[in-house]
Amino acid sequence: MQQEFLNQIEKLKAKGATYVDTRWYPFEETNMLTMINGNLKNMSSARESGAGIRVLYKGAWGFSASSDLGDLGTLFDKAFDYARVAAERVTFPVRLSEKDAICDTFSSPNRIDPFEVPLQDKVAFLRKMDEALNQAGVMQRMADLTFVRKQIIYLDSEGSQIEKNIIEVFPSIEVMGVDDKGVAQMRKFLPGRTGDTRGWESIDEKLFLENAQRIVSELNQVLKADECPIEDRSVILLPGIMFLQTHETIGHALELDRILGYELAFAGGSFVRLEDFGTLRYGSPKLTARANATVPNSPGSFGFDDDGIPAQDNLLIDKGILVGAITGRQMVEEANARARKQIFNGSSGANRATTFYRVPIERMTNINIDPGTDGSLEDIIANTEKGIVLDGDKSWSIGSNREQFHFSNHIGWLVDDGKVTKVVKNATYKGDTLKFYNSLSAVGDERTWELRYVDNCGKGQPNQIMQLGHGVPVCRFDNVRIGE
Amino acid sequence: MEEKIIYTLNELRTYALSKKVEAAFFYHEEDSYLMRFANSAISLNTNEHLVRLEITVHDGRKRASYEMITDLNQLEEMKKGLDIAAEMVKHAQPLNYQPSMAQLSETFEDTCSFDEGLAKISNEERLAYFNQAVEGLESEDIKLSGVFSSGTNITAQMNTRTEHYQYFKTSDAQITIVLSHLQLKWEVIAEQSAHQKSDLKPAKLHQELSYLLERYKADEAQQLPLGKYNVVFGPAATAEMLSFMNWIVFSGGSMKRGYSYLSENQLGKKVFNEQFTLVDDPNCLDTFPFKQDFMGIKREPFVIFDKGVFKSFTWYQDDADEFGAKPTGHHVMHKSLVLQAGDKQVSTLEELVKMPHDTDILYIPYIHYMNIVNPSKALVTGSSRFGALLIKKDGSTMVPYNVRLTQSLQDVFGENLVWMSAEQTAYNTSSSYGARNPVAIVVPTFVRVNNLEISHSNSSY
Repeated sequence: MQQEFLNQIEKLKAKGATYVDTRWYPFEETNMLTMINGNLKNMSSARESGAGIRVLYKGAWGFSASSDLGDLGTLFDKAFDYARVAAERVTFPVRLSEKDAICDTFSSPNRIDPFEVPLQDKVAFLRKMDEALNQAGVMQRMADLTFVRKQIIYLDSEGSQIEKNIIEVFPSIEVMGVDDKGVAQMRKFLPGRTGDTRGWESIDEKLFLENAQRIVSELNQVLKADECPIEDRSVILLPGIMFLQTHETIGHALELDRILGYELAFAGGSFVRLEDFGTLRYGSPKLTARANATVPNSPGSFGFDDDGIPAQDNLLIDKGILVGAITGRQMVEEANARARKQIFNGSSGANRATTFYRVPIERMTNINIDPGTDGSLEDIIANTEKGIVLDGDKSWSIGSNREQFHFSNHIGWLVDDGKVTKVVKNATYKGDTLKFYNSLSAVGDERTWELRYVDNCGKGQPNQIMQLGHGVPVCRFDNVRIGE
Repeated sequence: MEEKIIYTLNELRTYALSKKVEAAFFYHEEDSYLMRFANSAISLNTNEHLVRLEITVHDGRKRASYEMITDLNQLEEMKKGLDIAAEMVKHAQPLNYQPSMAQLSETFEDTCSFDEGLAKISNEERLAYFNQAVEGLESEDIKLSGVFSSGTNITAQMNTRTEHYQYFKTSDAQITIVLSHLQLKWEVIAEQSAHQKSDLKPAKLHQELSYLLERYKADEAQQLPLGKYNVVFGPAATAEMLSFMNWIVFSGGSMKRGYSYLSENQLGKKVFNEQFTLVDDPNCLDTFPFKQDFMGIKREPFVIFDKGVFKSFTWYQDDADEFGAKPTGHHVMHKSLVLQAGDKQVSTLEELVKMPHDTDILYIPYIHYMNIVNPSKALVTGSSRFGALLIKKDGSTMVPYNVRLTQSLQDVFGENLVWMSAEQTAYNTSSSYGARNPVAIVVPTFVRVNNLEISHSNSSY
């Protein structure tokens, strides 16, 4: 089969294609189990296979994909024809940055393949969680397990041949209750990624049971809590919301396709301009952010991207100054040409497609914030005069250029004179991105740093859902509006 | 093709019966085309032809499902899928309610939303549409973005209880055209939804874009002061709010789970403005309707709000089963929501600007990244985008930077609602996540609401 793909690639090169690649998925499997209030509402599996063909012709892309690989010739020809039509409207002919031809493999680190674990063991885990969550105050309890296993064969006209075998595990539990005013409140637990592997063994039952008690207890506190005040305070973001803050206002803002205007028809653009690299003070000197696809235990680490570029660890923001972006081969060439200087030195290896029937676009890897020197959460609280500790991603809404945002949280703890005074409900905060990051006044040390995953990042047309990670410490930002 | 699909489903049915497995088969086939534009070029041109088969096996109160992307030549692979689902269900835990299977008492075929011309539209025609819609509007600074998404969608169902089947075939197109200023970063938009080729009207989009461009090129954008504004929403904004209402206001399942603005106590009571009549109307072809739900229930126009009075929750079958509610025919991939027109005679933005106004009006065509802050209060938040205008009392206009609204849907569709236009627009709310599912909501083109709070105002784009 692999040889057939290579033959087709050669055929299109002979027809004038300047570049061709194929991502052949021999299989992608998912297994999902969801238990709600003791009911196993979802027990499903899925399997798909197929190939996506990307062709560059006269500076324009064509793409075709199918699950039916019985006629590869037609599939490749179609992609070529689509590129031919696209070439009728080209303003900046697509060029790809240089890369080495790579023949290699990548396997995500796992000890126990979750697809080899009996279903009854998975159901038993959910039952245990359901029992642990079934307590006073809880109106709805949910336990969820999602497993993914896929094989991807990447071949391109520049000589790369890469095989990837990836397994992902996404477990979570959550509880919901209704307060005396009829308002829904919730808490949830998604474990931070610890350890070096990401198979079934990464699900720590003891940790889940401990956190089941914690989220039920916190839910009951929120149900009885006062409303979050509307005022300006320092916000102390725990990793359970700092990951999303990072995702939405650093990650998406620094995707180079957004910066160059390639997502304006849907997802939006970015307030960042090409001339900002190297000069823009994105945040206070306490802010250092990086795109690190080499972390072992994260869906944002995948060995090689869908341009065939190896995983990298790159700085995005260095002590507050914008220095890098999330890039693929096409966008770095266009950005350098538009800026008339070399801003980017090759691709950062972040061009990814969610599946075989979607095209690769710039996606986050693991967009991490470096730990700081401001101690533990307790230390940061002790050094806060008037603040609020926030956790949970209840809602998020971001301006189209990622210039401003509004988040609501599952729980807040007011802090006055260095001490937590009380829990509040319906906590929210909002701000302008640059002003917010420049108000970063404390960054927790390694003890506060957690790697969280995101399994539902949407972008692109046709739409794509991507999985990735964010390693973040506890962070404090000053003079932030809360409660609106 | 239909024959082969039904033949395949029949073969699977026969196989399941031979194995004494109770199973339901849901077939989904899409032929999706998307031409995407960015920076005034075609940035992507794609075609995906995908066949999905979902097999759900029932064993009393136990249920398991297996979904595959496959093709019609892979019958043996599909049978293996059934075997896997049948094996999985042995390990399932019984639900505390009896899940329903579709009662297909007769074969039902619906292809009235399918138009061969739209389904077979060519790459050249897509490009020509865009070229016509933006003719003369692009420049060194003003760049084109957008998508022309079109395709054919087929769904078919069968189960082991009867030989009858359901078959639906639809064609659709969703066009979005954005013109944006490279340096100043403002954006204006024109959009269209189509279920037949004759719906395609690039000249109309050209007119809308030209009008907005004229204003955006003439004015420098300004930051609006925070505070209360009288707002006119365009069709995209109104449709987006109704989409959220579908989730957190009148969904029976959400209500039972405490994730809803309305409770059963509010049935029969006036909730929204008396101008607010919302119907799920499967006869409206602009919405790409399902005239029968996937449980085999015939769908008729279903009133959700009548002159502001809440008439009924809508129930997805599994929620109805769990909570013992009477099914309402809403086990479908999407509803066909139609918000009844008002009586204000205004059809275009130009007419809206020219009509007399008692106050300044903030026109918000589109709400970007809306999300639910508090479902129990129907509190949502989102930012304006794509061509907002401050229409002054004297008929002049000003271009504002984007603003954020954090409001309850009650504030929008309750007593603050002033008027709705007699003109309606079918606004295409389809996404292309997962299986193709064309959906549009029919709304009054313009909806005026007073006293809405602008909670955040940008100082730039």
